[in-house]
Amino acid sequence: MDTYLNTGIKEIITEFPEVETILNDYDIGCGPCSVGICLLKDIVSIHQLSVEQEKELMERIAAAVDPGKEHPVPKTRKWSSPAPPKTRRYSPPLQKLVDEHVLIKRWIALIPEFVDALDLESEQGKKRILDGIDMIRSYADKYHHAKEEEILFKYFDETADILKVMHEDHTRARSLVKAMQKALAENDKKTLSESLTAYRELLAEHIRKEDEILYPWMDSQLTDRQVGELFARFARVDQESGIAPETYEGFVRQLEAAFQ
Amino acid sequence: MTPFEGCPGSRMMQFRSSVENKMEGSAEKIRSQLAQWPIQMHLINPAAPYYQGADVLLTADCVAYALGDFHREYLKGKSLAIACPKLDEGQSVYLEKIRAWFEDSKINTLTVLIMEVPCCMGLLQLARQAAEASKRKVPIKYVVVGVQGDVLKEEWAAA
Ligand SMILES: [Fe+2]
Ligand SMILES: [Fe+2]
Repeated sequence: MDTYLNTGIKEIITEFPEVETILNDYDIGCGPCSVGICLLKDIVSIHQLSVEQEKELMERIAAAVDPGKEHPVPKTRKWSSPAPPKTRRYSPPLQKLVDEHVLIKRWIALIPEFVDALDLESEQGKKRILDGIDMIRSYADKYHHAKEEEILFKYFDETADILKVMHEDHTRARSLVKAMQKALAENDKKTLSESLTAYRELLAEHIRKEDEILYPWMDSQLTDRQVGELFARFARVDQESGIAPETYEGFVRQLEAAFQ
Repeated sequence: MTPFEGCPGSRMMQFRSSVENKMEGSAEKIRSQLAQWPIQMHLINPAAPYYQGADVLLTADCVAYALGDFHREYLKGKSLAIACPKLDEGQSVYLEKIRAWFEDSKINTLTVLIMEVPCCMGLLQLARQAAEASKRKVPIKYVVVGVQGDVLKEEWAAA
């Protein structure tokens, strides 16, 4: 039956003429259509039948195309998601930034364990700390925040309160990185731990604000022309940045494995 | 004497400046926002100047009849091509033309306007297929129009 879900309706009706009558019972008049390339699953889902009606219809079709057999009732898309979840769809350039947030969130989720495991004695321990700071400086700041500050935010009134708050968060993140670097140089484990923890809290809230409030609002304001421009400009600066996101994904993956 | 330029119906013209993107008051006659000719997918040249860097609308034939405010809401400021994914022959040509928009004409965005009928999805599939085949990526938006003229969905497709 699953095969028939992905078959053109004309083909099905030719093979099983009773399907036409079944569809007619639900006011789906595919029979006389001279083209009939629409797939059965699309026809059923687009006609917005009630869940019960759709189930009944699919059972009847299944019985017609595969008679005398016990078959699990095939599911159309509507069944798998009864009320289509209202997932947020960002424009492609903003989706790119949201995707970058995902890696940053994976990193900051690891900070508590990272702090517990801080080792300022061994070379290996110091290297790991340097890599963590580099993740913040290069990926979160240079690669990600720069696209926001130097490109995206310029499309809006930067004196607006919400944008001022975003800028302040970025500035505070930078000063925390400076504090981390200083603490590392001075072997000051306490300050290093505090700065990392403060960074985690700052960024978790900052990303939440962007994902849930700022970006959806920006998307509602951007014209198609601006969306296309942003998309192209992001791609260009990414290419020119010399930063390979895979490096940072590798770092996060390694930490995740180490702390599992 | 004007040199022979082939079929007048497919002759390339650009008249954006004479259309002007002026918003009309409700009492005024609604002016066309069409700024080019031709528009049918078989007739258009994807390298035409009005596609260069443009925000392009790829519209199923029926959409402009169904959507009352097509000109002001969707066509304004955009370059156009129309096609019917159900009835048109030779759609591999379309695929190549859409790819040429992406790669050669470096269009800025592509908006695919389709009717709610299932076969119309074919036009979006075609755009997606062309996007996959293209090295240069462009944001693609799709708008699904109901037969009574309501916009049922307007969404950016996943890049
Ligand atoms: Fe930010
Ligand atoms: Fe961000």
